Amino acid sequence: MKYLPLVWSGIWRKPGRTILIFLQVTVAFVLFGVLQGLKTGVQHAVDAARADLLIVHGRQDFLFSPLPLGLLAQIRSVPGVKVAIPVELSGGYYQKQENGMGIVPILAEKGWTDAFTFDIAPQYLAAFASTRTAALITEFDAQKYGWKIGDRIPLVTRVPQKNGSTTWAFDIVGTFTDSDVAVSRYKILVNYAYWDEGRATGTGDVNHFNVAVTDTGQAVAVADAIDRRFANSSHETKTESLGARAPQQVPQSGDLDFLIRAVVGAVLAALLFATATMMMQSVRERTPELAVLKTVGFGDRTVFFLVLAEAGVVCIMAAGCGLALATLVFPFAGRFVFGLGMPRLTIAIGLALAAAVALVSAAVPAARAARLRIVTALAER
Amino acid sequence: MSFIRQSLALLRINLEGEGARLGSVLTIVVGVTCTVAVLVSMLALGTGAHAQAVGDIRDDEIVVQARGAQFIQSSVSRDDMVAVRDLPGIARKQDGEPQVEGLVLVPFEGHRRGSGRRVFFPLLGTSDLQVELRPPAHLTAGRLFQPGLHEIIATNSCVRQFEGFELGAKREVRGIDWTVVGHYDQGQSLQCIVLTDAETLMSLFGRNSYNRINVRLKTPADFAAFNRALEASPSLKLEAKTAREDVESQFKQFNGLLNFVSYFIGAIMAIGATLGAVNSLYSIVDARRRELATLRALGFGAAGIVVATLLESILLALPGALLGAALAWLLFHGMAVSPFGFSFRLDVTPRLAEIGIAWALAMGFLGGLLPALRAARVPVTTALRAT
Repeated sequence: MKYLPLVWSGIWRKPGRTILIFLQVTVAFVLFGVLQGLKTGVQHAVDAARADLLIVHGRQDFLFSPLPLGLLAQIRSVPGVKVAIPVELSGGYYQKQENGMGIVPILAEKGWTDAFTFDIAPQYLAAFASTRTAALITEFDAQKYGWKIGDRIPLVTRVPQKNGSTTWAFDIVGTFTDSDVAVSRYKILVNYAYWDEGRATGTGDVNHFNVAVTDTGQAVAVADAIDRRFANSSHETKTESLGARAPQQVPQSGDLDFLIRAVVGAVLAALLFATATMMMQSVRERTPELAVLKTVGFGDRTVFFLVLAEAGVVCIMAAGCGLALATLVFPFAGRFVFGLGMPRLTIAIGLALAAAVALVSAAVPAARAARLRIVTALAER
Repeated sequence: MSFIRQSLALLRINLEGEGARLGSVLTIVVGVTCTVAVLVSMLALGTGAHAQAVGDIRDDEIVVQARGAQFIQSSVSRDDMVAVRDLPGIARKQDGEPQVEGLVLVPFEGHRRGSGRRVFFPLLGTSDLQVELRPPAHLTAGRLFQPGLHEIIATNSCVRQFEGFELGAKREVRGIDWTVVGHYDQGQSLQCIVLTDAETLMSLFGRNSYNRINVRLKTPADFAAFNRALEASPSLKLEAKTAREDVESQFKQFNGLLNFVSYFIGAIMAIGATLGAVNSLYSIVDARRRELATLRALGFGAAGIVVATLLESILLALPGALLGAALAWLLFHGMAVSPFGFSFRLDVTPRLAEIGIAWALAMGFLGGLLPALRAARVPVTTALRAT
């Protein structure tokens, strides 16, 4: 501790240089933080995917084989099923084809939200239940199209209504957020009753059923029981938990890891060179000063650690700064990329890397400073 | 033009002395190399994916789908198909039939080799295999499927990437075993596509319409005539696009995001490397204070010194740029990856190298600006007096 002032004055001997190297390390660790946060964030989201929510869909191809609404009663009778809610999936667009919109008609019976990963305010929930043409939208929809509660929005779909029109109107009654991995930004939730009665074809079809189980530990058994119930019927099902599905729905982690490692590696390599050169230069310039330190009684080892400490303090402080900045960026970046997060482990790894960079880049100059012979060093002056 | 002569003379002196300042010079070179290598490699992801998507497309290919629909949601009736066959501009086969093919798309579940990860890829039913499988696509093993027999042929990429596509392997679709009877190559693409007979697939799924119609034109220029006739027909609610246009529109968003990420990472790295370059150039300038002061005393102008230092900085960034682009090419060009669920090869093109070099030059210029000003402002008397 008593050497701290000495280290500090060494750092600020050339303020311009120190500030530049500080900024460079900061920038490098902003990138490290964002990339690493992306990776761990995705992993975290996968781990956090709910294992107690099951999706029951057609066995072969859940895009093309609709299930009849009539399966609902049988699913509900399977022991361990708490809530089962039919869900249809459709798509459309708002005004222009580029404005694609997922339409999710849900049979909103009492307690339906238990079977979903949605977060909906109670007043919106009540309005959704009481309004036939109600729609719940995401923040992304609201921002992109400037929709507000009370707006009536026309969506062009590929599903004709009984009157022949393919344009459906919905009344926005509120917003929702979705905590699932496979979250698509632009979608709206609507009432299945309105959708099913309005459409000209496919009446009574659903895409899948969302099921919540009473005991998470029994989720796999319940899923098997549901599939067994429909085995060898005309509508064989395949039931999976969100937890089991999550790993399939995030980018291929292997290749992503490789990419992130490669970029971080390149960043660190460049950084290492910069700090090493800086320390080398700094020690060379201060040869006489270091010699004076030795003259007044500082040992070789002390001088060695003084130089190391200088590099360490700058690098670790800058890395901390960079990681903090990366965390600040997350809420903004989270709008583009799902599941950013900075667990403590990432911070620890970052700081350790910073220390390693400091150590490696300062080792040679520090050794040089330690081996300095007073007489020759002073003679250079 | 003594100003230019001065600058060039100074630049020569600067560059000849570079050997003595190896550390600083290396910092600049390595920083720029890493930045350019990362930027070029990241951009090569997007270029590679795009190149694969459009690589096998020919200009005489057009796709016809329901208006406003994507492939998977589109529906084209058999009657529409008959009407489309009579439109003008369509190439004919040897037997005089128009080169028109109805396609049915069914997502098909598979498991990746090694990881066992589940992926969906297209099972395509074609009404005319001759149109679908025209050169450069060709069968490499086994035989073609026979209509009505629940047989499929798969691209060689399927065999490499997924389990259960060996010749003779059975795959279950809708409770029926389908036999893999052949393997084929599509050309450049690494996509996994499985082909079978359209009628067989449609009857199994109880469908009575295609998803899209593929048409081969006599010449690409016939598109206008074809399109006019299609739009003039009141009963057809279809739209025609060139196959290239269709793929490009699918790629727009994907490439936009990928390029954003690439440039974002590239920009952060460039900032870091530029800071490093500024630092190095400052120390280069500082080491030469007396030399610079002497030059000023001899009558060299401040402007000449500024220009010479800037040029030096830019020239120091250049080898980094070349090295970075070369590194990206050596390490990653042609490497097959599948970070987004489908496989493609990275493609490091000359265009990307140009972008990398442009970035490097910009970094050199920005990095050299402040040090150049400092070099020009060296106070002659104090610098000469200093030891």
